[in-house]
Amino acid sequence: MISCAIMQSAVQVENLVKRYGTFTAVDGVTFAVERGEIFGILGPNGAGKTTTLEIIESLQKPTEGRVSVLGLDVQSNAAEVKARTGVQLQASAYYDYLNLTEILSLLGSFYPNKAKPADLLEQVDLSDKALSRIGELSGGQKQRFAVAASLVNNPELVILDEPTTGLDPQARRNLWSLIKEVNQRGVTIVLTTHSMDEAELLCKRLAIMDHGKLLVVGTPRDLIKRLEASYAVKLTTDRPMTMTQLESLSGKVEVFDSVVQDGSANGDVEVTENTYLLRLSNNPSALKTMLDEISKTGLGLENLQITPVTLEDVFLELTGTELRD
Amino acid sequence: MITLVLANIKMMARNRQAIFWALFFPLMLVVVFGLFDVNGVGSADVVVIDQSNGPKSELLKERLQEIGFLDVEFEEGGVSGAWGKVSDGDFGYLIVIPGLFDDPAVNSQVTLVYNTRNPDRNQLVDGAVRNLVSEIQALDGPVVPSLLLNTDVIDVPEVDYFDNVLLGLLGLGIMMNSIISIAVRISTFRNQAILKRLLVTPLPIWKFFAAEITAHVLLALVQAGIILSLGVFVFGGHVHGNILWVLAITVLGSVVFLNIGFILSAWAKSPAAASGMGNAVAMPMMFLAGTFFSTAALPWVLPEMSLVLPLTPMLAALRDVAIDSEPIWDTWPYLAALGGWAVVTALGAIKVFKF
Repeated sequence: MISCAIMQSAVQVENLVKRYGTFTAVDGVTFAVERGEIFGILGPNGAGKTTTLEIIESLQKPTEGRVSVLGLDVQSNAAEVKARTGVQLQASAYYDYLNLTEILSLLGSFYPNKAKPADLLEQVDLSDKALSRIGELSGGQKQRFAVAASLVNNPELVILDEPTTGLDPQARRNLWSLIKEVNQRGVTIVLTTHSMDEAELLCKRLAIMDHGKLLVVGTPRDLIKRLEASYAVKLTTDRPMTMTQLESLSGKVEVFDSVVQDGSANGDVEVTENTYLLRLSNNPSALKTMLDEISKTGLGLENLQITPVTLEDVFLELTGTELRD
Repeated sequence: MITLVLANIKMMARNRQAIFWALFFPLMLVVVFGLFDVNGVGSADVVVIDQSNGPKSELLKERLQEIGFLDVEFEEGGVSGAWGKVSDGDFGYLIVIPGLFDDPAVNSQVTLVYNTRNPDRNQLVDGAVRNLVSEIQALDGPVVPSLLLNTDVIDVPEVDYFDNVLLGLLGLGIMMNSIISIAVRISTFRNQAILKRLLVTPLPIWKFFAAEITAHVLLALVQAGIILSLGVFVFGGHVHGNILWVLAITVLGSVVFLNIGFILSAWAKSPAAASGMGNAVAMPMMFLAGTFFSTAALPWVLPEMSLVLPLTPMLAALRDVAIDSEPIWDTWPYLAALGGWAVVTALGAIKVFKF
């Protein structure tokens, strides 16, 4: 069964462990990426995402476990895996003193199957920058070029480590379109991201990691369904609720968070320290029960918004809200 | 503006490796320069063959050893072999005390052999030996000083201080460029994750090193061509030997220094630190290996220690080939030393290098 799964998977990770001395960066991770899908790996900083990717890219050796890419064991077939895989590293730079065409020609020369630099630059809408150097590009252009560089070998699998980090909304959307286009050509894509909307929008399936462990794998919809709550209510009262009043709400509903923004404007809603975010179960009576409880307190309702729970809710529930380095 | 200046100072102060080398390097240069007796004439190596072995010849040998700037050795062998070594420049001077030196009845001349390469020092040694022989022969009665010493001057091709320095500058240029350039370049590549980016490609690692070394060796050849052309055609220097041999030695030396650069790049945590470390390795070698001055002017055991530096055999081989017109195979001891350095530094680079 395992060998059958390996044949069908673009990436197969089995019981992967990576230790640095006494520190365990990746702790028994198992997942598979199907051919042709966009697979996202989410996790806070230090979750083990990049280490996992670097083992898949054969940049690092696993302490335990096995990784196969495109049906090939990465340890024993590193050169072939590299030849058929495109990689964009988290913090990759390129030669300062070569122009974009020259860099792509150079990188392409390392592969048996190479794409034409002009075609690659056209795909990422950088044809007019063909003779420019990396230092002359904007952040979005640099990221688009990094994707182009990951395609120099016409890869079957592309690994993108945080491809949109630090980009403005326009540049992010532009890059999302590019990633989708590449995927539509049949290229399997594995990406890591901190952006929940990016993961939800791009990825067919997701894995959430924390502290080196794989917490959950599934489609964004499946992951959201895992939460008991199916929608969230953001409400603003005319006065702050007491702890007793909050606890009375929590008996019926889950108090998720309070939003404290010193009365600053947030779109159409005046958000004050009296604003609370509650997650409700999918029981149809839950909303009514909550409103009844608020009514009993004598507090006035200044604002009420109902939204579905998002991937971010799933992520925070699984990984917690504690600040990471 | 002030905030930016303060931030820059903070950043520099926190790059401890770079600041260490930046501070250590000038201190080291002060020490190296301090070691040189640049105001002295340096010592003259003199070989004495005593064919008399009498009391006067013994006295002469004793008195020769008392002369401060003479570094005297005694040989038992034949005169012709020693003469050849003076001609080749292996010995500075040869003094032959004739068999009848101790016979007061015979006016036998001491022979002083030297080549034309160092006229100033020749004058000094000639005067000192002449005075000494006169003094000793005068013990037996009046003498005619001009008849006591026969000088045999070996005419060698014109070589001035600049010719020596030109070859020194060639070695220096190759060394500095190879060590510092590769150390800074690789350190920069590592800091920018360019090395990591190359690792995710199927490019074999040996090809990466080979490409770097080849590019730098080609650059070294161009550099050698420019230095020698400028020296010969603009400043009137001389290269008597085969230029192809000069370039071959340049290539071998360049490989050694590139390997050293690779090793330093593995230890340097930033390009600035790599530059400092490269200078710290190259600059003392520049002086200790005899680039500008003879290492004979160094005190203590430093002249002997300089022989183990890789630049020393490179410069010696370059000077033998370019100045003395020796075929390259005659410089095999120097080439063997350089080859040994190439192997040792390559193994070191392979062991410590990290992507």
